[in-house]
Amino acid sequence: MARVEFDDVSKVFADGTRAVDRLDLQITDGEFMVLVGPSGCGKTTALRMVAGLEDISDGVVRIGERVVNDLTPKRRDIAMVFQSYALYPHLSVRDNIAFPLKIAKVSKDEIGRRVAEAARILDLEPYLKRKPRALSGGQRQRVAMGRAIVRQPAVFLMDEPLSNLDAKLRVQMRADIKKIQSKLGVTSIYVTHDQVEAMTMGDRVAVMRKGELQQVAPPQELYDRPVNLFVAGFIGSPAMNMLEARVERAGGGVAVVLGDARLELSDHPWLAPYDGQPVVLGIRPEDMEDAAIAGDDGSPRLRGRVELREALGADVLVHFAVAARSAVTEDVRELAEDVGDDRLRSEDAGTATLVGRFSPRTRVLEGDNVEVSVDRNALHFFDPQTGLAIRGS
Amino acid sequence: MRIRMVGLGVRLTILAAFAIFFIAPVLWLVLAPTKSDHALITSNPFAFGDFHNVALAWKHLDAFSSHIFRRWVGNTLFYAVSATAITLVAGVPAGYGLAIGRFPGRKLVLSLTLVVMIVPGAALVLPIFLELNAVHLIGSSLSVILPFSFFPFGVYLAYLYYATALPPSLLDAARVDGCGELQTFLRVALPLAKPIVALVFFFSFVADWNNFFLPYVVLADSNQYPITVGLWDLLSSTPSFNPAVGGGGQSVKIFKPELALATLIAVVPVAIVFLFSQRALVRGLVGGAVKE
Repeated sequence: MARVEFDDVSKVFADGTRAVDRLDLQITDGEFMVLVGPSGCGKTTALRMVAGLEDISDGVVRIGERVVNDLTPKRRDIAMVFQSYALYPHLSVRDNIAFPLKIAKVSKDEIGRRVAEAARILDLEPYLKRKPRALSGGQRQRVAMGRAIVRQPAVFLMDEPLSNLDAKLRVQMRADIKKIQSKLGVTSIYVTHDQVEAMTMGDRVAVMRKGELQQVAPPQELYDRPVNLFVAGFIGSPAMNMLEARVERAGGGVAVVLGDARLELSDHPWLAPYDGQPVVLGIRPEDMEDAAIAGDDGSPRLRGRVELREALGADVLVHFAVAARSAVTEDVRELAEDVGDDRLRSEDAGTATLVGRFSPRTRVLEGDNVEVSVDRNALHFFDPQTGLAIRGS
Repeated sequence: MRIRMVGLGVRLTILAAFAIFFIAPVLWLVLAPTKSDHALITSNPFAFGDFHNVALAWKHLDAFSSHIFRRWVGNTLFYAVSATAITLVAGVPAGYGLAIGRFPGRKLVLSLTLVVMIVPGAALVLPIFLELNAVHLIGSSLSVILPFSFFPFGVYLAYLYYATALPPSLLDAARVDGCGELQTFLRVALPLAKPIVALVFFFSFVADWNNFFLPYVVLADSNQYPITVGLWDLLSSTPSFNPAVGGGGQSVKIFKPELALATLIAVVPVAIVFLFSQRALVRGLVGGAVKE
């Protein structure tokens, strides 16, 4: 077991691409750290630098107390699970799992014992004699896990290990990996582009973008208190709604004006310095409710026309257009492209489509006018210039 | 329906004509040792003679120059196996290095490999002769084995395989699992390259087995000849091909059936190597390694 530390680490490829830019990150002993971000954000490169599969251009990577910059992978006491599984096709499942132990010249008895233990944990006992090509995707993935855990390494590295599995198996393996990691207590770094995996698995989640670390925090904190527009948009599904708004002083408090709507906010004195200035208002889908269900609780209201209703059973996603403008900053545009969100493209000037997660009791239908109650305590504000969050304490 | 039948008939006729064109000489060759020299000319070309004639042809062939034919077959095996072994030991790792290594001059070496591949072997015989002469190897076995073992096509085949068919993540996995570069090659890259090893073995062996010009130039002693040069020696000792040695009470009893038998025997090892190599070639070893 060991902690892992990135100390001002950069990676510049031969063609000049800066894949990782001055990364500072400490992963504590036994922690499950998830690196998440869109394609090309540098998360896999960062992981490969810990593995020793990628040279470090600048900075220091430590595993435990050791600086490992110049150590070969075999001397780093790590194990890695690859996106493609990377099983040795000419070896049986048993030999695949035993491979790192044989290389380390562990005694035959010990190899037998450890392989049997790994096979038991991963439910692979019936398949030990098979070759990888005779296994299903999920079984191959488990063999790859077995090869990693059998070594009892100081650090597990996992590079999108679930991305080749179907959705159902992915959910199951997600839980299995988390359970195994908790049981073994091995420091783990897990790379994924899937924010659901990141949120469900990580003790902490590090969000990366264009080689830079955006925020590192426990999943709930990341969700509740994103430091910038990028993190706010990346974490959460459906994504946070983002609107252009303007702050105005109103009586003893402030109001946020978006289009023809005006949200009175009495508990947001820290917005007062932004009087008269544009801000980006972020509203999570679940922080909105059909006003007919919410009742008259004094919450601010938005009015719009329902464009689409998606009943999910436990709740209903309602897409509705309001007379306001979507905030289209570079961050938002990039996020929309990355997740294939076409809300930005389909908009007329002057209207924005929001997504609300309503109670299944809502009766709104497509084409209806709807009044939406907004939880004023759950609103997010961002500076449109810097993209940074604006909040009190 | 009628048009389709006519089309089929035309296709079959064309195919049959080509098949006969190529099969006829092979069939003639296979049948030739079963006939006497005279019957070979006078009887039906595709008639079977007698096994007795085969035994007689072998007796004459084996008696030629005190069993020198056996020596030629042995020499060829020795040259081809030695050179192919060196080719495999040097060529497969070289291809691997060119495919996964990143070092200065890599592209130059690759280009040179390609260039040398397309230069006809005969064009290099004179410079090789001069080189071997300079290092006093002319006339030795090494004068054949060393040039034979220079097989850029094998390097290029291995390079192509490792650059295109071997998933890089397998090599990364081996490194993370504790292998150094040599172990990564020996334990992962090499076992996965069985089809390519078989292919390089086959092409190299056949090229070495069939090479005539180089040994003809660098070997002076007929005891050192490989079978290709030996066949030429036999031809020049056959009265029907070289009247200068014909008739006149000579003890050389090499006629057309003996030559045909010698040719057939010369082909057998290549056919065996092909059969064994082919089995390994068709196996897709990389299946299941990584998610397809």
